[in-house]
Formats: sequence, structure tokens, C-alpha cells
Amino acid sequence: MGRKQNQISNLISNLELDRRRWLKLGVTSAVAASLPGMLLRAQAAPQACSAPIPQKHEPSNGGSCPYPIPWLDKNGNHNQIPMPNVELCSIYHFKGKLARCNGFHGMGTDNHGNRLAWGTPSTDYSYMAGEYWAARQVHQAVFAHT
Amino acid sequence: MPVPSSGLTFSSDDKTATVQVSNAPIIDQPRWPAMDAESTPAFLDFKLVFKATDEPVKYENAVQQYRFEGFKASAQLEATIRVPSIDFTFKTDPLEASKCDFAVMGNEVNGKYYEAAQGPL
Repeated sequence: MGRKQNQISNLISNLELDRRRWLKLGVTSAVAASLPGMLLRAQAAPQACSAPIPQKHEPSNGGSCPYPIPWLDKNGNHNQIPMPNVELCSIYHFKGKLARCNGFHGMGTDNHGNRLAWGTPSTDYSYMAGEYWAARQVHQAVFAHT
Repeated sequence: MPVPSSGLTFSSDDKTATVQVSNAPIIDQPRWPAMDAESTPAFLDFKLVFKATDEPVKYENAVQQYRFEGFKASAQLEATIRVPSIDFTFKTDPLEASKCDFAVMGNEVNGKYYEAAQGPL
């Protein structure tokens, strides 16, 4: 029991050190994307938009999840830093409102009172609000990329 | 991540957009992108504000079939992250204290909508 508690204490201690190290290095991606020593990969919970299995020989038209940009990584992991003259949207077959930003930097405080820097050149956020095409039909939705 | 329509609001002149999300499920994955990187459930609250400038931009690529028309912008962010399993939270300073290097806001068409949408978006 004592040994296990010690191991956990060491683990937490190491995690804290890692956090500080990463934050000080400024390698943390924005809040959603990463934090000190721990990359906080923003990711939505599993969605109920995967392709349904047709019953009674009905046609299969795919799922209603937005279609990713074909030439970019579907998971959006540092695939392309937002900048002028690149595709800024994360959804293919999309029309609507879009905003995107990156290169955040700022400061914050953890629950132990430590002042930590956050943000990297790849800390990017966006919103996409409008119409997209999937499963051979139009969908209206609002999405955020973190 | 999907956002409720109430989570994205615009000012009356459409020059300011605010995205506000609470309790978004994310993961804390210290060793990413290692293939065996373990992950821990975490949660994110954030408020993101874009403000358009008067400087127009247009990014278009006919081969890749996208067109974005809009304005350069500023963007500011405040957020809180919680990793309950290790009792860790991190809260950024208020919105006004953050800065970002690049931001644009406007309208986009791509894919099957690209050819159909000629003229200003």
C-alpha cells in the first residue's frame, strides 16, 4: 500500500514537472490543443453520424459526419497551419461562415497557483457555420475546431 | 466538435463573432503523437472572440476547389481545462490578455459548392 502510494506520488510529481517544463518551453498548443507536457488534443466525443447499416437491402449513402478535406489529415493533427492562401476549412463540400486563427499566446494559472504560459504557433481555433453535404443530402450545423 | 447554434453569436454588423463552449470532452495525451500514447479524459470550456478589420482577403484555389472571402481579424481566447483524474485545472487569464498571430473571418465555399458559387459570397 505504502509502495503504491509512493508510486502514485512520484507519478503526479513527474506529471507536474512535465507540465511546467512544457509550459516553460512554450511548446504547449493552445488550451484545447495542448498543455504542459501533456498534449490536450481536443477531440469531440464519438458521434452518432457514422454510416448506418442498411436494412432490407436499402441503399447505403454513407454517414452524416462532415467530409474531411481530402488532401489533409482527417484527424487534423497539425496538418496545415492556418495562413493566407491555404484551405482554412476542415470540412469539404461546405458553404457558410468561417473564421480561423492561430498562434495564440497568453498566461494562465493552474489549481496550485502556478503561473504558466500557454500557446504555440500551432495553437489554432476556428468555427464553421453553414451547410455541408454528406450522406447525399444537405446538413446545417455549427462546428468548432480546437 | 459540434457546437449548439447558441454557442456561436454575431454582432449586429457581423464584424464580431463569439464562440462559447462548455464542458467539451477532450483528452489529455502527454506522449502524443507516440502510437501507444495513453490518454486521459479531460474537459474544456472556452470563449473565443473574433473581430474583423476593414482589410479584405480572398484565398482561392480552383484546383483544390475552395474560395474564402472575408477580412483579416483579431482573435482572443479564454479557457479552462480540467483533468479530473489527476485533479488538475488550468485557467487562462481573461480574454483581453491573449493575443494571436493570424486571424481571418468571412465566408467559404468548397467542394461541390465551389463551381456553383460564382460571384461574391
